[in-house]
Amino acid sequence: MRLRRHDLHTLTGVYALDAVDGTERDLFEHHLRRCRPCGNEVRGLAETATELAMAAALPPPPRVKERVLAATAVTRQLPPAVDRPGRIQRWMPRRAGRPAVRPSWTPRLAAAVAVVSLAVAVVLGAVGLRARQALDSARAQDQAIAAVLAAPDARIMSRATTDGGTATVVVSRAEGKVVFTTAGLPRLPASKVYELWLMGPPKIRRAGLLPAPAAGRTAPVLASGLAAGDSVGVTVEPAGGTSRPTTAPIVVMALRA
Amino acid sequence: MRAARSGPGLEEGRDQGLDELLGRVARGDQHAFEAVYDRLAGPAYGLIRNVVRDPAQSEEVTQEALLEVWRAASRFDPARGSAATWVMTIAHRRAVDRVRSAAAAAEREHRSAQPLAADDEVAETAVANLDAERVRRCLGGLTELQRESITLAYYGGYTYPEVAGLLHTALGTVKTRIRDGLIRLRDCMGVSW
Repeated sequence: MRLRRHDLHTLTGVYALDAVDGTERDLFEHHLRRCRPCGNEVRGLAETATELAMAAALPPPPRVKERVLAATAVTRQLPPAVDRPGRIQRWMPRRAGRPAVRPSWTPRLAAAVAVVSLAVAVVLGAVGLRARQALDSARAQDQAIAAVLAAPDARIMSRATTDGGTATVVVSRAEGKVVFTTAGLPRLPASKVYELWLMGPPKIRRAGLLPAPAAGRTAPVLASGLAAGDSVGVTVEPAGGTSRPTTAPIVVMALRA
Repeated sequence: MRAARSGPGLEEGRDQGLDELLGRVARGDQHAFEAVYDRLAGPAYGLIRNVVRDPAQSEEVTQEALLEVWRAASRFDPARGSAATWVMTIAHRRAVDRVRSAAAAAEREHRSAQPLAADDEVAETAVANLDAERVRRCLGGLTELQRESITLAYYGGYTYPEVAGLLHTALGTVKTRIRDGLIRLRDCMGVSW
């Protein structure tokens, strides 16, 4: 299976053409929120793509106009998005079938957090005191993940797992951290769990358990303490995890820069 | 598009007009919507036809996309891009959603990367369209791999891993060629953002 490894920044072109999907797209959008040069470049390239559309103009049959105009008469319009700190700045509209509020790989817990760490401040004003502790820990986690995604040296790679899913990792050597997420992994029985490992030449370290997949994806897991020469790997282990892998990994990715 | 063009500054005025029109659409002005339709339905339909191919489905997708423009006009932010780009992004997205859905998988083989320009209909429109000439000239200035990758991704609606598969080229190569090629197009067409 093909290994993908590249700089997040250079996704500007394929993003402007709407030619990047899935986890990689989600991760790039996270990156875009913090990377101003990327945003400027995406804007210019998207305007360029529009020129390509203009050049391919073709008049639709008149009935299309009749139907659309008739539909507007009975279609309620959306209210403006209220501008507030932390509002997601999005270059592209969402894909159909996606949740409207959060990147689809964001943990369920973070749904309450309304997506971005910055938005938490706003949300906090609206929720009861009881929820605040949970939100605080979710926010800290979100911010730590966002920091990795926004790191100038962030690199992303994806690889197929042996059981038909895809694993994606974003690595920041400067931060010494990785963010790990998956799509399409088979759901495990309650007695089993996916466990993430940092696998160095000297030893293998536990790097956390993957949460149960929601909508086919596992929420991002942050692992710290990355060392030179590490690979990341995932094994299926008994619920609760183990201190060392007991099964063959379903995926291993070398993190060489 | 905020494009510095060779012609007299008409284009820019036209596009600023579109931004303002969309603002009126957001406030429920159906006449303004009709004006937006008249300017952008052609490019939207042409783009969607390129991606979707099937005329009946393309009509449906065009209707969905333009109704979305009506519905979501309040979300358009001129600071983030031109009105035309906002509309084309919606159109392309809708088209891509249609062809990338599982139900359409069987139809995929019927799509091809060639822009519809070979079509008589399209050619006729294009001849009258100086913008199209300029775009064609600029596309001609790209390397073959850049041009093919961009054409497959945009007019073909393929993801870049799919483009890499179609061109038997490494993923990273396709990604950077698309970026490099778009940058060259941008500079050639004088798009400034």
